[in-house]
Amino acid sequence: MSYRKLFYAFNFALLAVFVTALVKDNDAQWKTYQRQYYDLMADHLTKQAAAETDPKKAADLRKSAAEYRRHPLAIKQIITDGLGRFDRCTTCHVGMDEYENPGLTTPFTQQPFAAHPDIAGLVKTHPFTKFGCTVCHQGQGLATTLADAHGWVENWDHPMLKGTAIQGSCVKCHGDFAALKGAQAAAEGEKLIHQHGCLGCHAIDGVGGTMSVDLGDIEDKPLERIAGYNFLRVRIDGKQLPLDHWNIQNWILGHLVDDPEQVTPNDPFAKMNTEPIAPSPMPDFSHELTREQAEDIVAYLSGMTKLEEVPYRDHVQGPAAREPRFSDPKAHGHYVFVKYGCAGCHGVDAKAGRRRFNALGPGQKPFDPKMTEAERFAEMEKGREPTLPDLMSGYSHEELVEKIEQGVPASAAKKWDPDGPMPVIYMPAWKGKISKPELDDLATWLLSIGKKQDLGF
Amino acid sequence: MPIPDIETLKKEVIDSPVWRAVFRGGVWADTPRDRQAHISGNVWLHLHPAKVRPRALKWTYTWGLGGLAFALFLLLALSGVSLMFYYRPVPGLAFRDIKDLEYAVTLGKLLRNMHRWAAQAMVVAVIAHMVRVFLTGAYKRPREFNWGIGVLLLTLTLFLSFTGYLLPWDQLAIWAVTVGTNMAGATPFLGNAGPFGGLMGMHINNDVRFTMLGGTVVGGSALLRFYVLHCIAVPLLVGILLILHFWRVRKDSFSAAPYSANEPKVDVWPNLVKREYLAAVGLVIFIMVWALLQNAPLEIMANPNVTMNPAKAPWYFVGLQEMLVYFDPWIAGVLLPGMIAAGLIMVPYLDTNPKGVGYYAWGERPFANTMFLLGVTMWFTLITIGEFFRGPSYAWYWPWESWYGFKPAPPPTWSVFGPHGAAVLPIALGVAVLGALFTGGIFLPKLIQRELPGKKLLLGFLALVALVGLGGMAAHKLTGLQVGFLLFFCGMVFQFGFIMPQRHIRRLDWARYLVTMTLVVCMMGVWLKMCARLCFNIKYVLTVPAVSMNI
Repeated sequence: MSYRKLFYAFNFALLAVFVTALVKDNDAQWKTYQRQYYDLMADHLTKQAAAETDPKKAADLRKSAAEYRRHPLAIKQIITDGLGRFDRCTTCHVGMDEYENPGLTTPFTQQPFAAHPDIAGLVKTHPFTKFGCTVCHQGQGLATTLADAHGWVENWDHPMLKGTAIQGSCVKCHGDFAALKGAQAAAEGEKLIHQHGCLGCHAIDGVGGTMSVDLGDIEDKPLERIAGYNFLRVRIDGKQLPLDHWNIQNWILGHLVDDPEQVTPNDPFAKMNTEPIAPSPMPDFSHELTREQAEDIVAYLSGMTKLEEVPYRDHVQGPAAREPRFSDPKAHGHYVFVKYGCAGCHGVDAKAGRRRFNALGPGQKPFDPKMTEAERFAEMEKGREPTLPDLMSGYSHEELVEKIEQGVPASAAKKWDPDGPMPVIYMPAWKGKISKPELDDLATWLLSIGKKQDLGF
Repeated sequence: MPIPDIETLKKEVIDSPVWRAVFRGGVWADTPRDRQAHISGNVWLHLHPAKVRPRALKWTYTWGLGGLAFALFLLLALSGVSLMFYYRPVPGLAFRDIKDLEYAVTLGKLLRNMHRWAAQAMVVAVIAHMVRVFLTGAYKRPREFNWGIGVLLLTLTLFLSFTGYLLPWDQLAIWAVTVGTNMAGATPFLGNAGPFGGLMGMHINNDVRFTMLGGTVVGGSALLRFYVLHCIAVPLLVGILLILHFWRVRKDSFSAAPYSANEPKVDVWPNLVKREYLAAVGLVIFIMVWALLQNAPLEIMANPNVTMNPAKAPWYFVGLQEMLVYFDPWIAGVLLPGMIAAGLIMVPYLDTNPKGVGYYAWGERPFANTMFLLGVTMWFTLITIGEFFRGPSYAWYWPWESWYGFKPAPPPTWSVFGPHGAAVLPIALGVAVLGALFTGGIFLPKLIQRELPGKKLLLGFLALVALVGLGGMAAHKLTGLQVGFLLFFCGMVFQFGFIMPQRHIRRLDWARYLVTMTLVVCMMGVWLKMCARLCFNIKYVLTVPAVSMNI
């Protein structure tokens, strides 16, 4: 080819590429949605006009329908009031733009054209022009494509909250969320966290055990600290998560609907002071909690953030924490058992001790070095925390109080496999943490549920 | 009114006072004088000579690389200035502005992608240009100085790209820059972690790294500094050096050798200019298509509290990062790159071979070409290992291996000479042995006057290594693979570090000889250390912790 021909070919190619770029840039996803919304509105108004009997009203309707047809397209943005968020969601969800649609109702049910559901009057109490969208919904407010904006993509840690997880956002500002209509799941989640003894190991804002991480800022946990190792092992509904579903909600859910031992197994190559490392000591809640209950807990914990800077004026004070009063010491004892998360190890209502890897447990075969790896693992799995009713006959009231006050240090653990990992969980010393009257009633309750020993008469 | 014919109209326009005021010269008659006037009368083309040798027009001589690098520089300046309209170098805003470019600015995504990919392409083009200039001997007299400017431009190109790396303010950015600037902290005397740094009163908050970052970590002031360097300081410096570079290309005359004696030169207009234009347009098309198909990376916003694992430097510095595995940081991050840059600038003064200027001369300059290409190969080998064979915690991962599984810890490393190595061998012995090897390696080739039979000697040496290797295998100390690597690396070092210098440069004067051989032996040392670390888990051959002498 001659240089002259090449000259033309190259210049036309350059022009073609540039035009392609312009066309591609112009062909934005949000424009389609915005156009569709205005057209739908126009159609709706035209239909109304046709049904209208008053000719003046009909003319007005037709006029505004025509205006909708001609409506220019633009990116819309809410600059939130003191929340540091810039939300462009109303670019596609035009019906939720207060300036475009002051009534905030639309005749459409299909997203992104539908209006925002008005749960317990929140549309009035949370003006969108002030709060924006992502402060509650999460997702990527700056983005203007469907996938990126909803945030279920790589390189965005906080995708839109799905299902009941949105209720965590109520927890962020409303101290009284338990009483709110529409935050029932989160309230249920908080109850479940107490009931199942999560606070025995996990604190929330400093209240609770120190065995594991404080959940008070779990929502802020950087995925980089998890992603490298364990997200591949998270199974929800028995399925592995795709990369764009690696987020904190699924991380918590994965711990509740599957055995945490699967999520965080022991690293076969790692050693702790020459001993192998135990898998996650977190109990297996998958049989104890329904899927719905697990999601309730996720909903509650989704509000556990310290990074969200909500101005103080937007916080709602909760009711003052007041200890309930009990006339029956046994009922109070049970309350104390729940309050301090004893169920975390000893089971709900102290019915059965939970798993304690490589500790002694009921029904174990004696340790035999000739066992295969899998057999040994199965036996270590049978290690159990004490089932309290079985032990109560050995204690007097004072002895039991003293035992709880002193706890059992980790070093006192008896291992099933002497070369296996050290059982991780231990009984903390509760002296000074549980008050004396509480301890007394706790002991009373525990002794009341103890199995009576057959004295042989 | 009669329709004026096009030629008359053209003449009218060109002869008009306005046209004549703007463009010098008259009606185009396509005479040699016209063509010359096109070059000398045009401020943009004035840097070209009026005529060049025919060889300079050949694509396979220049590959257009210098021109492409300059075209990329212009493209980067243009796209960069456009990006500056949307970008604020403040941690809270920078990332948001990038997101705006991505989602709200017309053609913003294309601009950013083009800028990113053009920057990568420019690094490649500049390196390739240097390789081309070296292989055609174009650095020789009278072009030594221009070669030096070229080396400076190469380092500035890398620095320009590096400073731009921080600006998106995402995780990739701050951790790559953290890796890069931490090496500066290991500078001898001037860095807090470098040898004698403490002696000079260097702390984390007053050393050279602190000066670069304006803080002890990569934060707001580092972003502002890098922004100013990236947008003003370095481009200005590069621009000045570019003017000098082009001016010297013209004054020193273009390097291409004549095909035959008394060969007439050809006009630059239109012969060279049309080629340059096509290359530039082709390049812009290439970059634009690339930018349309592939988005520039953008991870989550920078978080100084969450370290990426692995944290890797930008790809062109990953070679240096990989060298950190083999040497103490001040050697890997400062001494060796310093030697590379200084060595490159010195090349024209070391090379006394008058042959092979202006054409690819493999046979006429075997030593220079071999050593240079060996160095380039080493650089890219290190980059390849660092980029594709390193995973979390910078451990060795095969490219097809998952980063997410459990992996046994790498076998323990050991040091040959040093307080933590074999206890019976004191540091003094190590210094003596390594010193002897180093000195012997430098002096021996010149001290042997007669040319040695290279092939026989190499075979003999390989047989010796094989014998040692087989002995090691018999004693179950070595595996077959290790012996293979030993044969490869030792053979290579013996051939290129001893036999070749002995054959080619033993008659060089002592000053040039010593400088050349120091560079050659150091390069061989890096190859050998790679072999020692990767195949034999030797952390350091000699370690003297007191002076951070870890090699």
